[in-house]
Amino acid sequence: MAIDPGTEANLSDDALELFVEGADWESVVDAVEDDTITINMGPQHPSTHGVLRLVLDLDGETVTKLTPIVGYLHTGIEKNAEVRTWVQGTTFFTRMDYLAPLFNETAFCLGVEKLLGIEVPERAQAVRVILMEFNRIASHLVWLATGGMELGSTTMMVFGFREREHVLDLFESQSGLRMNHAYIRPGGLAQDVTEDFVERCEALLELLPRKIAEYEDLLKRNPIWNDRLRGIGPLDAETAASYGITGPLLRAAGVPFDLRKAQPYSGYEQYEFDVPTETAADCYARFLLRIEEMRQSMRIIRQALDRLPGGPVMVADKHIAWPSQQSLGVDGIGNDPEYIRHIMGESMEALINHFKLTTQGFTVPAGQVYVPVESPRGELGYAITSTGTNKPYRVHVREPSFVNLQAADVMARGQMVADVVVVVASLDPVMGGVDR
Amino acid sequence: MTEFSVPTRTRGLTRTALPLEAIAARISHRFPEVETSEAYGELTLHAVPDQLVALLTFCRDDEELDTALLSDLSGVHWPAGDHVIERQASTTGWPEYRVSREQGMIEVLYILRSLTRNHWFRVSVATGDDAPRLPSVTGVFATADFHEREVYDFFGVEFEGHPDLTRILMPDDWIGHPHRKDYPLGGVDIPYKNDKFIPPPDERDLREVID
Repeated sequence: MAIDPGTEANLSDDALELFVEGADWESVVDAVEDDTITINMGPQHPSTHGVLRLVLDLDGETVTKLTPIVGYLHTGIEKNAEVRTWVQGTTFFTRMDYLAPLFNETAFCLGVEKLLGIEVPERAQAVRVILMEFNRIASHLVWLATGGMELGSTTMMVFGFREREHVLDLFESQSGLRMNHAYIRPGGLAQDVTEDFVERCEALLELLPRKIAEYEDLLKRNPIWNDRLRGIGPLDAETAASYGITGPLLRAAGVPFDLRKAQPYSGYEQYEFDVPTETAADCYARFLLRIEEMRQSMRIIRQALDRLPGGPVMVADKHIAWPSQQSLGVDGIGNDPEYIRHIMGESMEALINHFKLTTQGFTVPAGQVYVPVESPRGELGYAITSTGTNKPYRVHVREPSFVNLQAADVMARGQMVADVVVVVASLDPVMGGVDR
Repeated sequence: MTEFSVPTRTRGLTRTALPLEAIAARISHRFPEVETSEAYGELTLHAVPDQLVALLTFCRDDEELDTALLSDLSGVHWPAGDHVIERQASTTGWPEYRVSREQGMIEVLYILRSLTRNHWFRVSVATGDDAPRLPSVTGVFATADFHEREVYDFFGVEFEGHPDLTRILMPDDWIGHPHRKDYPLGGVDIPYKNDKFIPPPDERDLREVID
């Protein structure tokens, strides 16, 4: 084999010429001093969950080093939020982790509410919890579906996305959008839930347990599933902690750490649920754990539906509550005629308030807060800095996908190339969240 | 099948949380120079860069504090100049924000969380914004690797001792650090028809564009 690498002289455009001849594999191998081969996996690869690039150092077929390279989906959401009002922020942050939009909205809103010192009405809190837990189920279903597909189980892929579609239908009926809802706003919700909300949730609670049992039947004793997952991607608790890993990965290593229990928010302290843990700390344990988490989520939804309180879904303070009063007309949801009459015909002050809120937004007291919530992937934290204006001074998001991805290296070392796919799948990274 | 045993340091919430005053007292006892402040029910320790690694190591290894997890690491840029926001104070009664800085600074915030005790607190370190430089804590918490690269990428803070301090989210050949407040907004010129270049939005004169 002779590949002329080209010197400075012959690398000009017209002189570039490569000579490739055939050679025996032995002579190719002998020519390489180091046995390690470096290959690229991604950024365009069907099993890297979006535009994730993994640089693998391989000794034969064994991974000796894995370097995740991220940033291909960076959209500058944190920077954008600095030039938008607090309410507009929700619309941006919901687009980060697109499989868990409601968690992003809630975490950001909890931060803004902490700075404002306001308490959201109970009904809004309960609806937030119900929607977040459904969102967790939907996210885990996508994990199961894509994870199954990467291991060759197209059946699981179709099943997972099929049931997720039912959950997205529920979100669409409430917020108007399947994803990126911007439904949870600082101070409460964009609008009250529809009349058939409870009915729709009940229907899902009836459907999902049967389906989840079906997935278990399909996968739990499946020999391929077992062979591909058991003992793969081990990550013990101490290593996980030093890498900042939270969520299902930490719990699969035996640490029952869940922010819903540790630092309850949105009224999670009222609900009875367990924090499942596993001790095997491999990909199979993470599979069992996520299945169990979906069951626990349904337990929470059941309780929240049973005691869904009435009342408003937005704080009463008219200096904060978004002034879009809507009513259901014959042609769909539209402006409330009563409210339009009030601001246009009765009260100049109400019109001024409406105008100021919609153009400038409200101001938020100065200070720094850090508000974490338990997202499907772990601790999702919003570090918000306010200087007392109508815009955030700085919002930093502690994205669990971003942090968890660092552990891919220690999990994949010593494993086969094919196991890298399983390791990355068990991390469940969402590139929209990693790159922000 | 490997079964991992869960080490004591990460065995879940087995002990009660320390009150914020107790955390502050414990750290003040060991590091008298560290100032503590409390706002919105959150504790912040203001450390100096030289002590950062020692402080974080102490918090991690201390039996009482036991913060095994570095949850978050982020930066905030405070440029030099007078920053007064009193318009809101007059109408809402909220505390006014008034601060004057001769030298701009970059504040780096570390969120430390305990897995055995249910408490967390923030460590704040400031460095000048003309040549920001801080010691790396990757030796204390492995998770700081990506976080420090992100702060370097967005704010230009050089973390001394970081194994591979390169850009992480912006392209490798990007010039400037976008999250600094002195970074120009508006983006890049857009090629338009007739080989015309349209300037970024904040420098755009619409009367010229629509001719």
